[in-house]
Amino acid sequence: MATPPKNIEGFYKQKKSNTSKSKSSNSTKHAAATSGSNIAQPPALVSHGGSLDLEADDFDEEQQVLRQFDMNMEFGPCIGIPRIDRWERARRLGLNPPKEIESILKRGKVKRQSLFGGRT
Amino acid sequence: MEVESPEQLQRKQTTYLSFGENFEIQKEVYRGQQYSQIYFARLHWMRALLYSLVPNWKSHLPVCTILGLEEGTECIIVGTLYKHMKLKPCILDEYSKERSVAPLVKPHNFMNQDDYLVLEDESGRVKLGGTVLSPSVYVTGVVVALHGKETSAGVFFVEDVLEAGLPPQIERPLKSREDKYVVLVSGLSIGSSSSNPLQFQLLVDHITGHLGDEEEQGLVAEIVHLVIAGNSVEISRGILSGQNLASKDQSRLSEPFKELDIQLTQIAASLPLDIMPGSSDPANFSLPQQPLNRCLFPGSATFNTFRSCTNPHCFELDNIRFLGTSGQNIDDLTKYSEAKDKLDFLERTLRWRHLAPTAPNTLGCYPFTDRDPFLIDSCPDVYFVGNQEKYGTRLVKGSEGQSVRLISIPRFCETGVAVLLNMRNLECHALTFGTQFSS
Repeated sequence: MATPPKNIEGFYKQKKSNTSKSKSSNSTKHAAATSGSNIAQPPALVSHGGSLDLEADDFDEEQQVLRQFDMNMEFGPCIGIPRIDRWERARRLGLNPPKEIESILKRGKVKRQSLFGGRT
Repeated sequence: MEVESPEQLQRKQTTYLSFGENFEIQKEVYRGQQYSQIYFARLHWMRALLYSLVPNWKSHLPVCTILGLEEGTECIIVGTLYKHMKLKPCILDEYSKERSVAPLVKPHNFMNQDDYLVLEDESGRVKLGGTVLSPSVYVTGVVVALHGKETSAGVFFVEDVLEAGLPPQIERPLKSREDKYVVLVSGLSIGSSSSNPLQFQLLVDHITGHLGDEEEQGLVAEIVHLVIAGNSVEISRGILSGQNLASKDQSRLSEPFKELDIQLTQIAASLPLDIMPGSSDPANFSLPQQPLNRCLFPGSATFNTFRSCTNPHCFELDNIRFLGTSGQNIDDLTKYSEAKDKLDFLERTLRWRHLAPTAPNTLGCYPFTDRDPFLIDSCPDVYFVGNQEKYGTRLVKGSEGQSVRLISIPRFCETGVAVLLNMRNLECHALTFGTQFSS
């Protein structure tokens, strides 16, 4: 079995705020997948050690745009192929992927793999 | 009595163009991708093609995605077929608690009357019903367009099916050609207990013009090319058990190659030859198989007439396009579908425009990310498959005037038969070599 969490109270907190890590200032900006919730990740689902699955800086517009690109089935599966190669492939197959994705990816500060990269 | 000095017979020449870059994987980089990428590339290419063919087929019906199916509405859907087969070996069978379902004797063909077909695209999948689409003909990996409607049971009832059909063929100029012959042979299996070295030597001597009188040599001078379609050597399984080999066994490992190289040197000195890898040759297992390494042929590789080629292999001789494999694609179709004749399988792959539709499902394949190299985009003039049980040939005509010569090349070690193809009219003959004297 896994080791017990270091912060039991934080683990079972029922309030709609984030864990004890100081990322709570960004919690209101999270675009949650579940509707009606202010936070992206309920405390019960936070992994041991308190790290969130999606870090705080994932929720700016650029990351949103990239995530939409990853999830768009028109360009094929996103797992196992770097984002820029998937964009190149979509362009070569004549699927007209949005040019802004290329500029975001070429700027370099974003993750190379899709949002599932390294997590499957 | 005068002795006439013999005339020098010149062998005829052809121009050769290789289209093998499509099947080479030197530039590919493996980054942990899965096979979903190659299926996406295949579906995308075939779907664009089928969408362009649908208006000529049934223009009045709407085309929709699988998730967009509405119950009772007649429409057309395009996707990849998946055949669910009860008897198909599954890795999870090892872990299942009840072993009674698995048969004790492994069947050569995994078909069962309970097999059913499913159509998939990126949005979803739907089970197919009706009698138009026969599960015994189709295999997983074929992309088709289907006309039908969804029933209340959630099954798509198929009324009609559209396959891609023969690809467009480049028109060959009909200038009056002279007779030029290509010899196709496969399954030499040098090193196996069933191969007869004398039979192969007869073939070599015949092609190089060392047999027969002037008339026969004149006929042989019209042979311009030799294609060896796989399985040239066979190493006995006992040596390949993974143990360290004693030095006497090591020579057993290299003997077949030395023998093959000696024969190929004789051939290469006389005419151009292409050698393709097969399932028993020392090349990679998954398709497309890469060319056999030139260091295996120290003698013959020095000739510029020697060409080591990929499997599948595509090339042009004097503007006649040849496309063929060493047999793994057709053998896999034999396991998962049925037909009266091997040539039926060959014709089906051409109508589906895909050399190996069962790759990567049941046939080993490299996980390409951006293309599917087995898609046939231009109709060949000659389409061959090697290492089959017997020789067979058929001329297939397409709806747009395409004409293809299908050839099933038998295993030479078992039959002693090579195939002779006349490039002028694409007629085919069997060239049989025997070493038994009939009493």
